[in-house]
Amino acid sequence: MSEPLRPTPDPESAPFWAATRRHMLTVQRCDDCGTWRFPPRPVCPRCGSAAATWTPTTGLGTLLSWTVIHHVTHPAFAAQAPYPVLLVQLDEQDDVVMYGNLRPADAQLRPGMRLRASFEDVDDELTLVQWTPAADDGPPDR
Amino acid sequence: MTTYSSADVSNRDLRALRDRVAVAGVGWTQFARASGRTTTSMAVEAITAALADAGLERSDVDGLATHHVRDSAALHEVTPALGIDDLAWFDEEFGGGSRAAVIVGHAATAVAAGLADCVVVYRSLNGRTGTRMGASGGERTLLSSDLQFSQPYGLLAAAASYAIGARMHMIRYGTTVDQLGAVAVTQRANAVENERALMRTPITLEDHRSSRMIADPFRLLDCCLETDVACAIVLTTVERARDLRQPVVTLKGWASAIGPGDLDHPGGDLTRSTSSLIAPRLYAMAGLGPEDVDVAELYDAFSFAVLLHLEDYGFCAKGEAGPFVASGAIARTGSLPVNTHGGFLSEGYAHGLNHVCEAVSQLRGQAGTRQVEGAEIALATAMPGYPTGASGAVLLGRS
Repeated sequence: MSEPLRPTPDPESAPFWAATRRHMLTVQRCDDCGTWRFPPRPVCPRCGSAAATWTPTTGLGTLLSWTVIHHVTHPAFAAQAPYPVLLVQLDEQDDVVMYGNLRPADAQLRPGMRLRASFEDVDDELTLVQWTPAADDGPPDR
Repeated sequence: MTTYSSADVSNRDLRALRDRVAVAGVGWTQFARASGRTTTSMAVEAITAALADAGLERSDVDGLATHHVRDSAALHEVTPALGIDDLAWFDEEFGGGSRAAVIVGHAATAVAAGLADCVVVYRSLNGRTGTRMGASGGERTLLSSDLQFSQPYGLLAAAASYAIGARMHMIRYGTTVDQLGAVAVTQRANAVENERALMRTPITLEDHRSSRMIADPFRLLDCCLETDVACAIVLTTVERARDLRQPVVTLKGWASAIGPGDLDHPGGDLTRSTSSLIAPRLYAMAGLGPEDVDVAELYDAFSFAVLLHLEDYGFCAKGEAGPFVASGAIARTGSLPVNTHGGFLSEGYAHGLNHVCEAVSQLRGQAGTRQVEGAEIALATAMPGYPTGASGAVLLGRS
């Protein structure tokens, strides 16, 4: 197993990565207007408030699209190829989307399928949020 | 939070800028797989060729513009290499495919404002033997803290990002692999007629279907050619261009935008791009619409990018670009010839500026056997807007 390609947390994003170590998927939420935002941003794009709290999510989402990468451009992924990268829309808000891999990696993919966040402890320093097929009643009414 | 409503420009009148600036010269180095040269050497060759094409000297140059991803001849290297000891205006932008048409617009603005009289725009890269766009993991070619949310999952190369957009278009609109293939096949047919092109052997949809998978749904023939190359264009005032060597091609309009990045799209919808923000401003400045465009050189890092542009610049409705390209409309003899030089898929990848060069060749009537008869208006676009959200475009016309 070659060395993973590690994220480079910054002061803005450090709480996200710290939460993944505790197996929690958190997203910034504006303290003033309640808008969720991801990736992290210094102020709320809707109301401009700088007050925000990293808030636990349901960890549930919907598959918007994906690719399956065959041509590997970094040695960290050579052993995994071909591997899917998913674009997942979180239940919390329709423009809160994030990338992740599929677990198990050979699960069947279909557009709009429901997914649940899972937590992969890569080593003693890094936990990645991954996505696993979920059987539930579908996304909430928005 | 971003919405796709283009900024209201009805209170601005940019018509005064229309037809003030001309592209007086174009130049290329060889499109190569392995140049064996420095990017500065290639930049100087392309610039020299563009000046010769215009009938100008190095001493005429008072402005330079380029863009780079920390991979290219810097202005402070190219300026002395050209023997210029007082460069009055310059623009050196960090950025890749989003920037080529953008810096042409900036240079045109400088010429129109009188800040410079003769600006050369160039891009020089060893895209295959130097910095490869995906191989670095994007760390060097893109500055974005958001990469920490894509790279650890192995989402590294632009092909993969665009593949996710392409699949979304397939899911929503029924776009097919063969429709992506139609872009590759059509552009290759154009490259057969282009002596500069790297790939000149005709291909079929079956060749496309059977080429090796890169990032599903993209196969090898959906992806542009990593290339070692430099291109340059010379901008000057229309008045001066009339006294120069070539038929006069003017800038009718230019526009740019930073719209949503890949994780910022409303509803996560990657089937609409920054191009849809640019198009209304571009057409308004030029006093033209999509129906006036005779030739479209559309940023084609990947086949799907052409589909995005066709929809977002108004050549067909959202979701209909697949059937549009499969109908033959984008062929040289179709209603909207696209990427008449073969594009990045078959001519080579000069990161955008070769689209502007080809547009100029077509408008001058100098495109040889790939000439689109009677071409008067041409569109050249930058990367349609993700992952970074930045893009731009220019409309050119025969004077």
